[in-house]
Amino acid sequence: MRTLQFQYHMQLTFDFPACDHHFTLRCRPFHDIRQRILEERVEIYPKHYSSEEVDSYGNKCIYGIARTEHDHFSVDVTGEAQVCAENYLPALPAHRIGMYRYQTALTKAGLGLESFYRDLRKNASANVVEHVKDLMDGLYGKFQYEPGVTGVNTTAEEAFCRGSGVCQDYAHILLALCRLERIPCRYIAGMLMGEGATHAWIEVSDGKSWIPMDPTHNRMVDDTYIAISRGRDARDCTINQGVFTGGGSQKQEIRVVVNDK
Amino acid sequence: METERLFGYSDTVNELLARYGVKFGIYKNNVFKEQLFPFDMIPRVIEKQEFAFLEKGLKQRVLALNEFIKDIYGDKKIVRDGIVPEEFIYAGSGYLAQCEGVMPPKGIYSHISGIDLVQGKDKQWYILEDNLRIPSGASYPMIARELCRRSTPITFEKNAIEDNRNYAKLLRRTMDHVNTGGHTVILSPGRYNAAYFEHSYLAEKTGAHLVTGSELVVENDHLYFIDYSGKKEPVGAVYRRISDEYLDPMNFNEESVIGIPHIYDIYRKGNVALLNAPGNGVADDKGIYYFVPKMIQYYLGEEAVLQNAPTYLPYYKEDMDYVLEHFDSLVLKDVAEAGGYGIVFGNKLTREEKEHFLALLKEQPRRFIAQEVIDFLDIDIYENGEVTPRKADLRAFVLMADEPMVWKSGLTRFSRNPDSFIVNSSQGGGFKDTWVMAE
Repeated sequence: MRTLQFQYHMQLTFDFPACDHHFTLRCRPFHDIRQRILEERVEIYPKHYSSEEVDSYGNKCIYGIARTEHDHFSVDVTGEAQVCAENYLPALPAHRIGMYRYQTALTKAGLGLESFYRDLRKNASANVVEHVKDLMDGLYGKFQYEPGVTGVNTTAEEAFCRGSGVCQDYAHILLALCRLERIPCRYIAGMLMGEGATHAWIEVSDGKSWIPMDPTHNRMVDDTYIAISRGRDARDCTINQGVFTGGGSQKQEIRVVVNDK
Repeated sequence: METERLFGYSDTVNELLARYGVKFGIYKNNVFKEQLFPFDMIPRVIEKQEFAFLEKGLKQRVLALNEFIKDIYGDKKIVRDGIVPEEFIYAGSGYLAQCEGVMPPKGIYSHISGIDLVQGKDKQWYILEDNLRIPSGASYPMIARELCRRSTPITFEKNAIEDNRNYAKLLRRTMDHVNTGGHTVILSPGRYNAAYFEHSYLAEKTGAHLVTGSELVVENDHLYFIDYSGKKEPVGAVYRRISDEYLDPMNFNEESVIGIPHIYDIYRKGNVALLNAPGNGVADDKGIYYFVPKMIQYYLGEEAVLQNAPTYLPYYKEDMDYVLEHFDSLVLKDVAEAGGYGIVFGNKLTREEKEHFLALLKEQPRRFIAQEVIDFLDIDIYENGEVTPRKADLRAFVLMADEPMVWKSGLTRFSRNPDSFIVNSSQGGGFKDTWVMAE
């Protein structure tokens, strides 16, 4: 068990004022058996109205509107989490887990991933978690970390064929591989110890629990990770989603700091 | 039956329809074109008893489909019990994960269903497809009837025909039944939409407000209509004529500019009714069509009154074998396509085309269904002073309020060319009034 202090800061800067800015934020870390949120503060600015709900994937969403003209829009989430990496989240019942077994537009495998998968498949292990570890290992040997070459809409197949990308791409590709054999798995967006941007990893269900794995680092997720949102792919997990009028071009700045308490 | 008097008014009625804007918009080679929807004066006539039979079957079918959608976004018992294979749900294009666990007001998903039927030469009716998303077309026979009655009132005195002008009343009852408190609006993408005439006509006839997305706003977890003076009025029911993906940029397609941000969030909370419910596409997929008779059995414990066209699912091995053996006599449909596209007649393919298609079929069996070609009963149309036969189908409308209601009329569409089997209005063709006899 480990107690972490976290800060998530996101700021959108518009070069032309934006208004009627509708937002949906999946920015609140989960409070569950794996990570207990001891303290949490959420600040959204500007904001004229907001409300809360839980979506189909279990995310605690804050949605609302910043109506009047603004040059900046910022979200700050700070707090303390007690993380216990040995506590896995319980698997979902059959009728809730089905959607995690099938590809989405972002994870859909094409010829490149399918042929890679066929090669990896040759030394398959019977144990789901061991098997996915093998897939992850195979991917790690094949794919390079390279920021700035892929975008939010890059699919698993596109990233795989180019051979490099960021954590989102690693996660999408591993999800695609798992789903080629209908292993239930989901995308997790969250924070990692240190200073930097948000991170992404996956969870695989072995029938009893969700086992988190980090394909970018080719390792199991430990108590330095804090999960913020989850879904079938990155799109379901968008931490800050918005539509607005005006705005011109925009710049997004994200800063995450996670420390031991 | 006296219908001859109508013939003399063909030009007048068609001119009036054009003037009222009864048009059908189509996209051809990515260009939007509005075209007239030609009206044929000879009505399709359905006898009272025959319609009573259709009515019974249609109510049963829509009840079962509604139960299915509720089940799919809930416990998925029908999947657990092995009636419908899981991949027909999740791998189909109609399933929306955002609808998981969301229950619409009063548990109604398919408020307005358009069920397409055809009649075979043996007089047997077959279900062709179910349209549960935003089926259009009711306004065409409504206004055509109005104009025909005006042209020759005596025809409608002499024949005992069910009055179809009650559609607006049925629709209003359907909308009011689920209204969560507030106004009722019909949400249209705007006047460039293919069915804009229908949106405005139904608004006028039901007394609902005709609105576009920019006139609706979500505030404090409720939906408001902004009237001409800028005043906000609460809205409790939205008969939306825009598809799921454009309904709410915050929950579906982010690029949508015709939707209302956060409308889905408050719908999820039960604060507004959306007609039809988002996610219905999971039940009107061509792959799911195969399972509807099984659904009726499963949810209602009844035998299906109305039959599907004989359908094979290459997904099942025995069906695949049958399809390969009888390929030339079957019609194959791509489950992902609609509007009369993606349809292949086995006997119309060249050898190479056939080989190419069979390879595709074997590779992606779930993507196709195969059906026996139904020998349609021709019905007459009046063209250039002559009576000549055409293929036709019937779109029946079933509305669900506290009980299912079948509109005693329907949209009869006929093919443009005498030899065409495809009667979808987005591929040309015209329409007829449908007379359901009262005696």
